[in-house]
Amino acid sequence: MAKKTYDLLFKLLLIGDSGVGKTCILFRFSDDAFTTTFISTIGIDFKIKTIELRGKKIKLQIWDTAGQERFHTITTSYYRGAMGIMLVYDINNEKSFENIVKWLRNIDEHANEDVEKMILGNKCDMDDKRTVSKERGETIAREHSIRFMETSAKANINIERAFRELAEAILDKTAGREPGGDGNMDRVLVDKKPMTNTTKSCCNN
Amino acid sequence: MPDCSVNYESEIEDGQNKRAIKCKFCSSVILTPSSACFQNFEFDLPLITQTKNNDANPETEHTSLFWVVKDMFTFYNVGFSNAVGNTKFLTCADCEAGPIGYHDIPTKISYVALTRVSHGST
Ligand SMILES: Nc1nc2c(ncn2[C@@H]2O[C@H](COP(=O)(O)OP(=O)(O)O)[C@@H](O)[C@H]2O)c(=O)[nH]1
Ligand SMILES: [Mg+2]
Ligand SMILES: [Zn+2]
Repeated sequence: MAKKTYDLLFKLLLIGDSGVGKTCILFRFSDDAFTTTFISTIGIDFKIKTIELRGKKIKLQIWDTAGQERFHTITTSYYRGAMGIMLVYDINNEKSFENIVKWLRNIDEHANEDVEKMILGNKCDMDDKRTVSKERGETIAREHSIRFMETSAKANINIERAFRELAEAILDKTAGREPGGDGNMDRVLVDKKPMTNTTKSCCNN
Repeated sequence: MPDCSVNYESEIEDGQNKRAIKCKFCSSVILTPSSACFQNFEFDLPLITQTKNNDANPETEHTSLFWVVKDMFTFYNVGFSNAVGNTKFLTCADCEAGPIGYHDIPTKISYVALTRVSHGST
C-alpha cells in the first residue's frame, strides 16, 4: 500500500474576468512553458501541488475555471468544497478591477461562507501600462478584509508566495481535509486551533 | 521500444518506485519514492510533441510501462487535463509538459508512463 503522503488537503480556486491571467498563474507562464498543442487544446482542469507549512505537508488542489467566467456561469458546483479563492484582476484592465466587487458578490452567493479569499493584481511586470494603482487594490482589499498582493505570472513574481499565504490563512482557520483513500472529500479534519468565526461544529458528528 | 525501458527494472523495488519520479523537462517532483506501483500493459498515449496539428486525431505511441497511482492525492505535483471521454491526461504541474500519463475517470486510477518521466533523488 502507498504510504500516506500528506497531512492536509486544501481545495483552491482561481476566479476573475477572462484574460486576467488565471491560467498562467496556475501554470508557469505559457509563452515559455512546455505547453504542447495537445494539452493546451484540451485545457487543464486542476493541479495538485504539495507545500510544507509549519512542518505539515499540505496538498493544494488548484482549479482553473475552464473559461466559464466569460459567460458568467460560475455557480455553486464550481465553488463546492472550496476552502480558498484567488480573486484575480489585471492591473492594466480597469474593468477587470471593477468586476472584483461582482466576483465577491458571486462568491458570497455560491461559496462556503468561511472560504478564505485573496485578491491578486496580476501582470505587475507591465507597470508602464498600468491603469489600476496598487493603492486602489490595497484599498478594496482592506474594505473587504481580504489579503492582497500584486503578482506577475510572466515574471514569476509573488505567485508561490500568494499560494503559501492563502494556504497559511486556511491553516489558521483550522479546517482541512483528512487524507481520504480515494479522493472523495467528505470528511473534515480539524486542526488544534479553535474555529474563530463560527460556533457550529462540523467535525465531531 | 523507447530507450529508457532498457533498465527500468532497476527503478522497481518491491513493485514500487524506488526513486522519486520527476518531470524530464523541469525536474518538478511528480511522485515521491515508494508511492506508486509498477504495472505492465498496453495503452496508446498521445505524443508530447505532435508534428501535425490534428486535435481530433492526435498521434499516439504504444506505451506499456506504467506507475499506477490509486489515490490522486498521492501525487506530489501533477496537472490534470480536462476530460476526453473517460480519460484525463496528466501533465507536469510546473511546466505543463504532457501527457506524462493518464487518469481513468471510472476507476479513479492514474497511470504515469515510465518513458515520459525521469527517475532520481528528490
Ligand atoms: N505581461 C503579462 N501577461 C500575462 C500575465 N499573465 C497572463 N498574461 C497574458 O494574459 C493573457 C491571458 O492569460 P490567461 O492566463 O489565459 O487568462 P485567463 O483567461 O484569466 O485564464 C495571455 O495572453 C497571457 O499571456 C502576466 O503576469 N504578465
Ligand atoms: Mg483561462
Ligand atoms: Zn516540468
